[in-house]
Amino acid sequence: MSVYLRNFLRFCFIVILQVLVLNKVTLRWWLEPMGFPIFVPYVYPLFILLLPFETPVWALIILGFITGITIDGFANTAGLHACATVFIAYLRTNVLNALLPKNLSEYAHQNPNVKNMTWTPFLTYAAFLLLLHHTVFFTLELWNFSNIGYLLLKIIAATITSMIFVIIYVLLFTRQTTARV
Amino acid sequence: MRTFILFIRRFFNLILFLGVEVVCIIMIARTKTLQGNDIVSSANVVSGLLYKKQNDVVYYFGLGRMNDSLLNENARLRLQMAMLKGIDTLHDSLVHKPIGKPDSTHVVRYADYVYRTARVINNSVSAANNYITINRGSNDGITRNMSVLSGSGTVGRVVHVSPHFASILSVLSVKQQVSARLKDGTYGYVTWDGDRPDVLMMRDVAQQIKVKAGDTVYTTSYSFFPPDIVMGYVFKTETLKKNNLQLLYMHPAANFRNLQYVYVVENKMDAERKELEDSVKSK
Repeated sequence: MSVYLRNFLRFCFIVILQVLVLNKVTLRWWLEPMGFPIFVPYVYPLFILLLPFETPVWALIILGFITGITIDGFANTAGLHACATVFIAYLRTNVLNALLPKNLSEYAHQNPNVKNMTWTPFLTYAAFLLLLHHTVFFTLELWNFSNIGYLLLKIIAATITSMIFVIIYVLLFTRQTTARV
Repeated sequence: MRTFILFIRRFFNLILFLGVEVVCIIMIARTKTLQGNDIVSSANVVSGLLYKKQNDVVYYFGLGRMNDSLLNENARLRLQMAMLKGIDTLHDSLVHKPIGKPDSTHVVRYADYVYRTARVINNSVSAANNYITINRGSNDGITRNMSVLSGSGTVGRVVHVSPHFASILSVLSVKQQVSARLKDGTYGYVTWDGDRPDVLMMRDVAQQIKVKAGDTVYTTSYSFFPPDIVMGYVFKTETLKKNNLQLLYMHPAANFRNLQYVYVVENKMDAERKELEDSVKSK
């Protein structure tokens, strides 16, 4: 399967998963907490995180914009998701460079995954970029700094929940062929 | 010139990044006002159809709850009808129906509201500005700024319309305020502070007004809603130190978490009223 087709299918799958399933999952961590934020887990930045290593930065930015604006179209938030996604798309290459022992060009035709990055660097990479994404997104969305503790609580709770969904996704969609050999 | 091209090539990614972010921020800034934007909304064809397909599947899971809410609403309407029957109406025609108030003056209040039902195909409660998508659009006579009610209370107003879908900015939105009144006629306005979907706040109620928990908050005729629709029920009051005004916390009457059907209300007098008010403003 060509790399374009595979990434296109992943894009469709992640967008549909986000829009039709996860956007309906309005989470509160426990019942009726006074002032505890409710939020939706966002896993669609995973599409940007899982693009091949050698994707140039300009392509990442454009793809990030397209992904974000698609989610925006479904959520009625013109530009909010796009802004946050473009931000992490721009920073992705730098974060990968910082976390990987080898140069990025040595990972030809590979996607970032737990096999070639191992668990800890991959989770650090995903958690850091998701945290940045959620920070930008919720700050722009709320745009109200009078209640900064609430904002931070919302960002942290949403990031942790999104990470749980990302880990589930990675566990489900990593091929286990090497483990059997 | 050569250094300029080299500069562009050196910082191409940064320039592209900043350019795209500026585009995003311009789009965000346009949505911060109530007028909103028409570029990206969930009333477009693709998302509308996708949401409709999804709703066709999950629709059946909520039928029991919907039956209960319809029964409750029927009971309430029957009660209102029984109350109306006792009133001597001046004009008893189909077009003009006096609102259910014994009119002591000679002024009869007419209401020209048209109710259309619509099915909710997408809904959110977690954002700072929550939108609802319904399966009716301009082909069904929906236009912008119509108000939307559920069986139990206020829901929001129509902000985007496409031929088959419309999106509604719900009362759970930090950028709109709704004029409201208490049982005794004290005016104030209802806002939402963006965190909990089961708490609305009514502001600017004078300190001396006695408000108990459980009091009902209604819409007024100043708002875009029809007057005397239940907005919510007060559960806590608080007097603000800085201006000695009361802040009332209330639970919204409509349950935003499981909206199934809504009524889109067209006010036939709205255009005339707006024209009159605008002519006053322009002078």
